[in-house]
Amino acid sequence: MVAPPDNDVLWARALHFRHDDGSPGLSGVSLGVREGEILAVGGPRGSGKTTLLRCLSGLLPARSGEVWFNSVPVHTMGPAARERLRRERFGWIDPVPLLVAELNVWENAALPLMLRGTGRRRAKTAALEWLERLDIGDRARRHPVELTHAERQRVCIARALAPAPSVLFADEPTAPLHRVDRAHVLRTLTTAARSHGITVVLATHDAHTAALADRTVSLLDGRRVRTLHLPPVPGAAETEGRATCSLSV
Amino acid sequence: MLALRLSLGAHPAVQLRRFLVAAASAGTGFLLLSALGHALAHPEPSVSALRLAWCTAPLAATVYFAVAVARTDPATRPRPGLSAVGLGPVRLMAVSAATTAASCLLGSALALLVFLALRGDLTALPFDGAGTDFLAAGRPLPLPAALTLLALVPVSASAAVAVALRPREPVTGAPRPPRAYGRFGAYRRTPALESFGAYGRFGKQFGPSARGRRATGAAREQEGAAGAAEGAAAADASSPGVADAPAPGAPADAPPDVPRTVPSGLPWGITVLAVGLAVEAFASRPGPGSPGDRPAALLGLALACVGLALAGPGLTHLCGRLLQTIRPGALRLLAGRVLMTEATRIGRPLGVVCAVMSAAYAMAALHDREDTSSAPLVALGVLLVAGCTVATLLTAAVESRQARADTTAALRRLGAPAVTLRRAAALRAGALLALFGPLSLLVAELSTWPLTG
Repeated sequence: MVAPPDNDVLWARALHFRHDDGSPGLSGVSLGVREGEILAVGGPRGSGKTTLLRCLSGLLPARSGEVWFNSVPVHTMGPAARERLRRERFGWIDPVPLLVAELNVWENAALPLMLRGTGRRRAKTAALEWLERLDIGDRARRHPVELTHAERQRVCIARALAPAPSVLFADEPTAPLHRVDRAHVLRTLTTAARSHGITVVLATHDAHTAALADRTVSLLDGRRVRTLHLPPVPGAAETEGRATCSLSV
Repeated sequence: MLALRLSLGAHPAVQLRRFLVAAASAGTGFLLLSALGHALAHPEPSVSALRLAWCTAPLAATVYFAVAVARTDPATRPRPGLSAVGLGPVRLMAVSAATTAASCLLGSALALLVFLALRGDLTALPFDGAGTDFLAAGRPLPLPAALTLLALVPVSASAAVAVALRPREPVTGAPRPPRAYGRFGAYRRTPALESFGAYGRFGKQFGPSARGRRATGAAREQEGAAGAAEGAAAADASSPGVADAPAPGAPADAPPDVPRTVPSGLPWGITVLAVGLAVEAFASRPGPGSPGDRPAALLGLALACVGLALAGPGLTHLCGRLLQTIRPGALRLLAGRVLMTEATRIGRPLGVVCAVMSAAYAMAALHDREDTSSAPLVALGVLLVAGCTVATLLTAAVESRQARADTTAALRRLGAPAVTLRRAAALRAGALLALFGPLSLLVAELSTWPLTG
């Protein structure tokens, strides 16, 4: 077994995961995430990006394999310890902005800090600071229903960044957005992460999004691949099976 | 047939809820049949009509419970994929009405069987316990009348479920009426009390940030203040430019609209409660006859109960507001705000439970002990009404939990400890108990006092 490099904040070795219904999730993924870098996990839909992020963040226990965070084994932790690790060290951004609808925007952003036990005043200050940085400071007293989708997603980013996590997991944070909003959200996310030295693991199936990252790891069918060979698109060729299925034949 | 297939393959907890509906329906059916039996045995129609009238309370409780169960039924939840194959909202409404009808029919059949068995029609051995005159043993049972009475519960429950779950088109994208200043809530155009406040005093509407947002954001701002269907008539004069602005359509996966308006029933509830208590006190002036015989006293008690039920959502909202005042941390914030949001869903059945409890307390003080012939029936009725309302409250709690499942999952992904979420739920329950327990005791004592004194 090779000792991991010192600057790897998070690394996984031979992760295997199988979903509850028996369908394969991950088969032998190994990767290391260096401190302060933005790592994109690429690959088409269904290639296991979300599952990999969930395994890395301790949301799902891997069937076999190892996950280490700062030389602490995550794969041997119990559920309570993993939950504490997620609360204290990790941030998570969902593909759709899932905010607590009853709380207003700054309370949503301050919630992880308050859950950690930070005082209300300090949590509010930090949350408002991050909301201001993400251009939604003037909406801080609104409720999530009054915001547009992109604004809600930015609130989610502020909520994930406010407690200054060691690692931020972003699972396709821009998938349902238009390109303008997508660029804005991604720019704010990457700038904030770089300026504060936050490690980001970003799952995306979009090549433009992956271009913003320092490094890209490609997944295909639950395996890590070096190069993604997509089958050539037969442009002028007869579409396969059309003649046999055609009603006129 | 589809309803049957869907209902057979359900989770045990769901089946238990449906079974409880069937049991409630059986109890109500039995009470209705015993009113019929009493009418057969006694020639005077007025007493029997009174008994039949008393059956409306369990009937209403059963229907209320059936609607609550149908709301939480996962088999009749809208399914995104199945709308394309024809299982759309209308069909789902029909399915849930059919499921409810099936549960209630099962209960009614059970009631008929038990009634016939007690009469001795099935075993040729009539039950001779205490007070069996309501069975009318020895007389032929008119079958059409019995079936009509038994059909009452399934028909009314299905109709209520169909009405409650009828498909409603959400009004998205429609231009919202602009906020109409100057009326200050006269004619009740807006549910929230409006005043200029800081908005008018500090000229916030003239600031640079307001100017840019005004055209696109004003319609959206209005969404929060005005509820869903309010104020179509208010779409007049004050700023026509805003009404013309394109209202941004909600994205397909926008979170469900959270009702943030304060439930408006609290003043009405308190008024009706006070009127009821006053009527009771007025009716119980010293005079001839026992206080229980006066219809005005019963009317007062009923008014007090209706008032308590009306005040339920408002009181729940108040409870949540009190929980989250004065610099709340995460725990009190989660507990209080959720209670404020769920005020209507939880508060309505809670108010009904309190009303039933106080009414039962007051009636127990009034009840004369000599009349033993109807004692088991009265006990059955009280048990039915209390059980149905409590079960409705629990079902509403389940419904609220189902509605918040997404948020809870998101909180768990954030790393919110399960202990905190559980503590928040316990805090909510404790706060509601601390408010509603003494309140219903107080109302019960107040309404008993003039009747017995």
